[in-house]
Amino acid sequence: MIQVRPHEFMVKHTPQTEWISGRGVLVWLAFAFIELGAGTFLVASFSGSLSGMLAGWLICGIIGGGLHLLYLGRPLRFWRILASSGWKTSWLARGLYFVVFFLVLGAVYMLLARGGGAPVGLMVITNVFAFLAIIYLGFVMSTVNGIALWNTPLLAVLYAVLGIWGGAGVNLLLGTAPAVKGWVNLFLASYAFILGVYLVCIRYQGGTAGKVSVQQIVATKWSPLFWIVSVALGIVFPGAIGIIGWVTGLGIPEAIVVISIVGELLGDLALRYCILRSALYSPVIPAQRQAS
Amino acid sequence: MRWSLLVNLNKCVTCYSCVTKCKQEHFLPPGVSWGKILVSETGKHPRVIKLSYPVLCNHCQEAKCVEVCPAGATQRREDGIVWIDPDKCIGCRYCVVACPYQARTYLAKTKEYYPGQGFTEFEKIGDRLYHHQIGTVSKCNFCMERIDAGIKRGLKPGVDREATPVCVITCPAKARYFGDLDDPSSEISELVRKSQAAPLHPEYATEPAVYYAIR
Repeated sequence: MIQVRPHEFMVKHTPQTEWISGRGVLVWLAFAFIELGAGTFLVASFSGSLSGMLAGWLICGIIGGGLHLLYLGRPLRFWRILASSGWKTSWLARGLYFVVFFLVLGAVYMLLARGGGAPVGLMVITNVFAFLAIIYLGFVMSTVNGIALWNTPLLAVLYAVLGIWGGAGVNLLLGTAPAVKGWVNLFLASYAFILGVYLVCIRYQGGTAGKVSVQQIVATKWSPLFWIVSVALGIVFPGAIGIIGWVTGLGIPEAIVVISIVGELLGDLALRYCILRSALYSPVIPAQRQAS
Repeated sequence: MRWSLLVNLNKCVTCYSCVTKCKQEHFLPPGVSWGKILVSETGKHPRVIKLSYPVLCNHCQEAKCVEVCPAGATQRREDGIVWIDPDKCIGCRYCVVACPYQARTYLAKTKEYYPGQGFTEFEKIGDRLYHHQIGTVSKCNFCMERIDAGIKRGLKPGVDREATPVCVITCPAKARYFGDLDDPSSEISELVRKSQAAPLHPEYATEPAVYYAIR
């Protein structure tokens, strides 16, 4: 029998580890909080809630940005992204620009709005950057053509819905945008639909690596996390609460609403974890692919 | 000009001298190998075939790592060599994730070859001669220091030993060839044509500069 050598694993499907194992969990959380914060700001701005906007700004800038910096091997050099021309090709650099513009414009808007004189145009531009901050991760990941699970523009759509849906949840939790309640079922339905389309597309068009990745999410390795937290807690439970409230017309107890929103946010995090954890590279050696 | 490397898989004897020499030349720390040999087996006893592929950075013409680097640390030179400027690398590891050949390594922390025994003299000298910055990413650079120094001395990479990557000159089976792929009369261009050599994963459209021949 051939002795197993250090790099023999690369002849099989190899999991992506840099952005999820060890300190890599910081990337998972950083991206999640940046999108959640930008989504919270976006949803709050439509309700004109300054406190909701501030909460989103803090979640995005302080928690998301802070986690990103903690992950970097050389955090003191992060300014190099802004100083270089990396934005011409790199979605990570573009993402930083989107987040910085969003944070700066968002801060100016909130200051002006507090004084009662914030122009609508500024809010529109800030919201455009908030939206870009939500979706850029989808493009960061979809450009990685070695990982079938990520190599699809559907990921940007999925993250857009996740970010806005999560933002709506945070606003409901804080009580900063109660008008969003009427939209929750729509967000939930579109989220479930896009998630289903995404997984089916990767399963049938992502080659062997895509097929194995989706199997890991829905049937094997990460399926308990996906079905229990992402689907049951994150989609079915809040959906059931929303439908019961809509059909009966009765008020749902506050505690149950809070639990359903927390479940939704946990489901969001769990799905992002599954997508990072189940990312597989195709084997480097083509001959082995045929043999296996 | 485009520097390129060809590996004749029929000649490779899986002796690991390319891997070892590369580690020695660049004073690579424990756990880091710019060149690797992927070994596997296929078939069933008694008809088992052992497959071994020496792999390294492919110095792609359409390099994903160059495209995704947010800080401009990974660059592609005019001669096709893809290299990392460690002073610019911020350690985001996007390039590590984006490389479909998994040819990059993140240097997380300083390690000794003999844990708890301190650094050997060789490691101390290596740190002075070829310092690897912790918190940055590293990979094969086609021994660009040798190439540049050799060209300055009027030598020809791929022909003169002093100007050729060490993995090529150290191979006892002469399984590796190095040269200018843009020069149709160069040995490597002829070998790529004659042997119908192919790169790994051409479907990614990265146009690697490392070719593999099986005859």
